[in-house]
Amino acid sequence: MNIDIIATIIALLTMFSIYSLMAISLNLEYGVAGVPNFGQALFVSLGAYVTGVTYTRLLPLLAGLETIHPCGSSLGAALQLRSEIMATQPLAGFLNLALTFVTAAALGGLVGFAVSYVTLRLKQEWYLALVLLVGGEIVRIAVRSADDLICSHNGISGIAGPFYYLDDARASSALFMLLALALALAAYRCSEGLIHSPFGRMLKGLRENEAVTRSLGKGISLARAQIMLIGSVIAAIAGVLFALNTGFVNTNDYVVTLTLDVWVMVVLGGLGNSRGALLGAALIAVMDRLTQVAAIQLNMSGFPIEFNYVRFILFGLILLFMLRFRPQGLLPESPLTTHAHEVLRPGHPETERRR
Amino acid sequence: MPPSLLMNSIVNTIQVGSLYALMALGITLTFSVMKLPNFAHAEYITVGAYAALIVSQSGDIHPMMILTAACAVGALTALASHQMVFKPLEKQKASFYTLLLASFAFGLIVRYILYIIADQFSLFETRIRIPLEIVYRSQTIILTNIFMWAVPTSVLLVILLTLLLNYTPLGREMRALANNISLARVIGIAVEQVKRNTWLLVGGLAGVAGALWGLSTSVSPLTGWVAILSVFAAAILGGLSSFPGTILGAYVVAFSENTVMQFLNFYLDVDFGLKPAIPFMMIILVLLIRPQGFTNFFSWNRDFQR
Repeated sequence: MNIDIIATIIALLTMFSIYSLMAISLNLEYGVAGVPNFGQALFVSLGAYVTGVTYTRLLPLLAGLETIHPCGSSLGAALQLRSEIMATQPLAGFLNLALTFVTAAALGGLVGFAVSYVTLRLKQEWYLALVLLVGGEIVRIAVRSADDLICSHNGISGIAGPFYYLDDARASSALFMLLALALALAAYRCSEGLIHSPFGRMLKGLRENEAVTRSLGKGISLARAQIMLIGSVIAAIAGVLFALNTGFVNTNDYVVTLTLDVWVMVVLGGLGNSRGALLGAALIAVMDRLTQVAAIQLNMSGFPIEFNYVRFILFGLILLFMLRFRPQGLLPESPLTTHAHEVLRPGHPETERRR
Repeated sequence: MPPSLLMNSIVNTIQVGSLYALMALGITLTFSVMKLPNFAHAEYITVGAYAALIVSQSGDIHPMMILTAACAVGALTALASHQMVFKPLEKQKASFYTLLLASFAFGLIVRYILYIIADQFSLFETRIRIPLEIVYRSQTIILTNIFMWAVPTSVLLVILLTLLLNYTPLGREMRALANNISLARVIGIAVEQVKRNTWLLVGGLAGVAGALWGLSTSVSPLTGWVAILSVFAAAILGGLSSFPGTILGAYVVAFSENTVMQFLNFYLDVDFGLKPAIPFMMIILVLLIRPQGFTNFFSWNRDFQR
């Protein structure tokens, strides 16, 4: 069999960037601040649903055309309309994408902030985990049973990437990959900056000992809600990219297993540092690809086993082994050092002069 | 609303509620004694249902045998999860969220192994083979033999479990563990043994509940997972620490899923597709408004102290 190497690399890097965004978001929330977000699927799905809505409602308006109802009998016409606009009017496409990002980030951030600000005041902190887990399912069920929003069970298909107008399919997917990589890189830089800022140090303090941090005069509910806001914004952006990459939005993609996927990445890579999140995302992206290829090969050679099942068993095993034998992850968190550490080290001119 | 709809929904409430009670007590027990929100509980239910299914396909078998098999397999799965996953993690002083995550991971593995088995032997959405008889029929209600099996069995088990917790040495030891594990160890309770027994009890009950659930609907690898969040809702209504509260919670959840849903559908035209959202809404409302649920409602019962 012949594998198209360049296409594989492009697909792999795109998936890696999207996974990285999700992993960085969870790492900030749980790894750094210790907020147990078991609703990663919720925030990713918010981004995806927003994409489904803007590409069917807003895009025709931006292109100066009439909106066609995307479900039911006018489904085909609406699909043709949006691919035509994406193929011929790149400007409308870009504007729509930008607005999608803004809306998704705003919605995700708002939900993340509101939910955590309310829940984190409860006595039992793990209730947040439960509320987010359950909230994701409620949103999913509600969206699924709403006939108009994204056509209930059917979902919205034919969502083209922003570079669809290019004639060369490979060039458009390569440009999309670059966009995703750029966003992932930006998120990485932001998260590194945040971890090394005073705010990040306070969050780590919060994770280690709540009472001490509070006694130092830090408002803990607000700080946690703030980090949830940042994390949810990143997750929602990942959701937009996820929807654009697969080309369709369907409620079945955003179930609890997606949340678990992200947890596997973060636990595998190492909690509390962004490089760990990137490593976890890269490993899972590669593993996904390998299982897919293996599945196709095995099915062609007449061995009918559903490889998706093996994938989840593998994920469960990885998670259990990591938790049991290497809870710090492949790349352990390094101690945070600040300028003060430098100055106070023996031998530093500043320290010596004071003596 | 026509009386037959109403009566049928009430019959469903009783049947589903009894099964939820059986499952939710297991959640309450593991949460109190083991300090573990066990999402793998769903898989003990599914495993029980599949054990019942496979046993029932091997010929004409008395329902009692089916339930025994389901109980044994459920108990063994629960014990395996303790020995292989939770015990080593507890030993290395894993955090609460690590245990939560591990329970998810264990459940994931078991669920997809069941998927592979179901795939190989085409056991998706299969019904457990026992003859269906109508025991009682009036103009408004139809009761089948499955109802007559499921409800008395689960009610009996729930009563036995409550008595066990309140009046036996094992129950006393479990309450001691729930209250203060170091103190329990100091006064000479064989902590590890009590934990093992608790796991066997929890898994066995979940297995039986899974078999009864499979009798009344059909069995698929997602059987337990579909039920688990309703079951968690019931346990949270019981404050995750009160047995009578959990039982009441189970019937409240079942009532809202069946009778209230029927009303909403009939009068307000709410789609039945929204039914799964009901227990989720209840979880969120309870957590936000009254996180302790029905704890300390029933003065005769000794709730777990937390």
